[in-house]
Amino acid sequence: MVVDTTLTTGEFGDPLPERDILEGFDRLIAADRLFGAELNPTVIKKSGKGASFLVRRPPSRERMLALWRDLFANRVSPQGLLDALAPEVLGLSHGDGLLLFGKDRVLYDCHIARGDEAVGHLTLCFYREREPVFRFLPFPRRPGRRIVYIEGISLTAQSTGYASSLFRRYERLFHNLGFHRFRLKASLSVGKYYWAKEGFDCEDRKQFAEMRENLHALVRRLGLPVEEQEIRRLNHASMIAAFRRDLAVPIYRNAEGYYAAERDASHGEEFRFPLGKAFLLCSAPWDGFKVIYTDTPRRTGFVWSERFLDHGTRAGHPESPKRLEAIFAAIREGGMRESLIFLEPYLPAMAVLHAVHEPAYLEAFREAAARGDRQFAVRDCSISEGSYEAALLAAGGVMAGIDAVCSDRADNVFCAVRPPGHHAGRASAMGFCFVNNVAAGTRYARSAHGIERVYILDWDVHHGNGTQALFDEDPLTFYCSLHEHPSFCYPGTGRRLEKGAGAGRGATLNIPLAPHAGDREMIEAFEREVVPSIEAFRPELILLSAGFDAHRDDPIAELECTEDVYVHMTRRVLELADRHCGGRVVSVLEGGYCMESLVPSAIAHIRTLQGREVPPCSSARG
Amino acid sequence: MFVGPRMKRGLVTVTPRATLEEAARLLKAHRIHHLPVVEEGDRLAGIVSDTDLRNATLGGMIGGADRGDSGRPATVGEIMTRDVVTLSPGDTLDDAMLALSQERIGALPVVEGERLVGIVTKADILSALVSTLDIEGLGVRIEVVLPRDVKEVSRLVGALGDLKVGVRSLVLAPHGAGAYAAFVRVATIDVGSLKAQLRVAGFKVPEIAEFLE
Repeated sequence: MVVDTTLTTGEFGDPLPERDILEGFDRLIAADRLFGAELNPTVIKKSGKGASFLVRRPPSRERMLALWRDLFANRVSPQGLLDALAPEVLGLSHGDGLLLFGKDRVLYDCHIARGDEAVGHLTLCFYREREPVFRFLPFPRRPGRRIVYIEGISLTAQSTGYASSLFRRYERLFHNLGFHRFRLKASLSVGKYYWAKEGFDCEDRKQFAEMRENLHALVRRLGLPVEEQEIRRLNHASMIAAFRRDLAVPIYRNAEGYYAAERDASHGEEFRFPLGKAFLLCSAPWDGFKVIYTDTPRRTGFVWSERFLDHGTRAGHPESPKRLEAIFAAIREGGMRESLIFLEPYLPAMAVLHAVHEPAYLEAFREAAARGDRQFAVRDCSISEGSYEAALLAAGGVMAGIDAVCSDRADNVFCAVRPPGHHAGRASAMGFCFVNNVAAGTRYARSAHGIERVYILDWDVHHGNGTQALFDEDPLTFYCSLHEHPSFCYPGTGRRLEKGAGAGRGATLNIPLAPHAGDREMIEAFEREVVPSIEAFRPELILLSAGFDAHRDDPIAELECTEDVYVHMTRRVLELADRHCGGRVVSVLEGGYCMESLVPSAIAHIRTLQGREVPPCSSARG
Repeated sequence: MFVGPRMKRGLVTVTPRATLEEAARLLKAHRIHHLPVVEEGDRLAGIVSDTDLRNATLGGMIGGADRGDSGRPATVGEIMTRDVVTLSPGDTLDDAMLALSQERIGALPVVEGERLVGIVTKADILSALVSTLDIEGLGVRIEVVLPRDVKEVSRLVGALGDLKVGVRSLVLAPHGAGAYAAFVRVATIDVGSLKAQLRVAGFKVPEIAEFLE
């Protein structure tokens, strides 16, 4: 059995004996601090200071214990939880803290007080999502994410920074207790800006897409100097909250303190706020959530969209949608979904892609797909109607990943994208590639986030001729590739003597490996050459062209590596990234065509990105 | 195929009366290894290489032949090779390759009659090989071992056509007694499937191509 020893438990170590938990229940019951609660939380009512919940006798000891085990893994005692939930923050403390046991949830309710004076109240609710094992059948369901639901928080006076400080502490607390998300009530109309600023996002992605549209409409109506691309990349409410602080926009407040974007009879008082803040203050209420997910040492983002499956290839083609389906299925079935921060790709504005590809080339690709052509440029590049959008979205996925590490939403990101990109040149599709995802991301990191020095490490078994050519003369983009020797392997480039040209001479490093080289040769070359080159280049961002086709089971080439090599290189890259660029690594899927090796390799890579220990590979045979 | 289009023109030359220092300076300035030696009217008188210069200057130190007052040669005329292997523009690159390889030399002056018109060096031959064998081009080379029967070659080409494989170049070389090795540079990343399909069609496809072995 594999024991994951790296899950951080913080102050909460081994599970407490059940006897202690039961005694804890009894003590709280005796002290009138533990009750039962109505099953439907909306029935739970509370009015004014000292009023009680609609409560009843607590459920049976067995039920309470089972719930405690499920939600808190017995890592904390009932009194311990009450204490941990009520820290004194900015002179405010919690009074009358109660635990209430519903059928499938535990509630915490308290007053917020300054000294003896009650200034607000707080209700939290802890439960676990259940997800159906089969999509269309109601049963059975398996335990899903652990949720902290913010049932209500109110403060009579604006207490600057209290909620912010409290929830920072809570985030650490619930991380240590193994919770996955905060959720937020829909009807919070005041405070939308506040919650967005604190990292809460819109639960309903359709609603979020509408918000983005509305923002676009507002920008057009006011004639603001905002590029379309800037709005497209807004992928998270916190990005809207921080959007264009340099542009002040007028909004109008009514007597109750609600804002509207246009002046009317009731909204008369004009205020000027930065664009993003002004927009959120006027937006419709939305259900919020915030990922806690920090039950892994590093927060790893996962770029994924079903639209990547729309790139269809002919029967028998190795680069099939099954590749991503298999990776995603493994993530779902392996229970990793809860520990990853899902990031949505977006369609990049064409201007961004034109920094990498000829406009006429992209247009020819679009037309070929729209016309229903079955291949583009060469036979390897099999396409379907959805290929063009999927290819653009794959590049946008890398951009979303870069946004996430630059805005600190994630420490690192794995982009499960397709079609792959590293063979695609300025005006050439080849080797299953159409749009050079990593190159587009590199340019984007520079233009959107001001990142100058990007180190691209390409460990796909094939040389990334497209990426190399695009940055051949660029001294600020280091391209390093480990691949099977070009005399034996596609595409026939990537010889040692290719070292970059002009000002970029020396910023390209090619390390060809002889056929049948395995983990030992790859790791030796990596330690001997790649590591010092990263150290010397001092990148601000590391991008990985992560193909998993150097695996011994992959039929496309002749290297004989195992998952272990990916674990090793990932771990080392993270260490170097910690030293040079705040751990910022965005890994982008390239090749890997044998499901039995692609899936375990990608999973081992992602787990390593999360900072977890990965057991030595099991598929290594003989 | 012919030497004319491949040879270098506009040559750097010296006269037999040039000093060794002058010759050495020219070699260094132009980053070349051979200087044709010409008399009036571009008449080829000989050739001098960097090796000749080195031997001449180091000759005294290692007890070489005693020459002139100083004991060392002073002009190019004294050390140049007079018996020069030359080509004419109408000769072929095969001639050049054979001459370079058999004579173990580095450069072949090209003359029309006695007049020097160009030079072919090992580097020119290599670049001709690189382009003919498509070594720089994109693609991947596979080897197919065929019985020494042209019909088998035709069957291979037919199979590649049926599989709709883009062929960048094809080199057919003798492979021991009774066999050919066909080296095909194919324009596909999916070499694994291609090899498997060729094997199913009855071809012998080694894992690793032993090209230029």
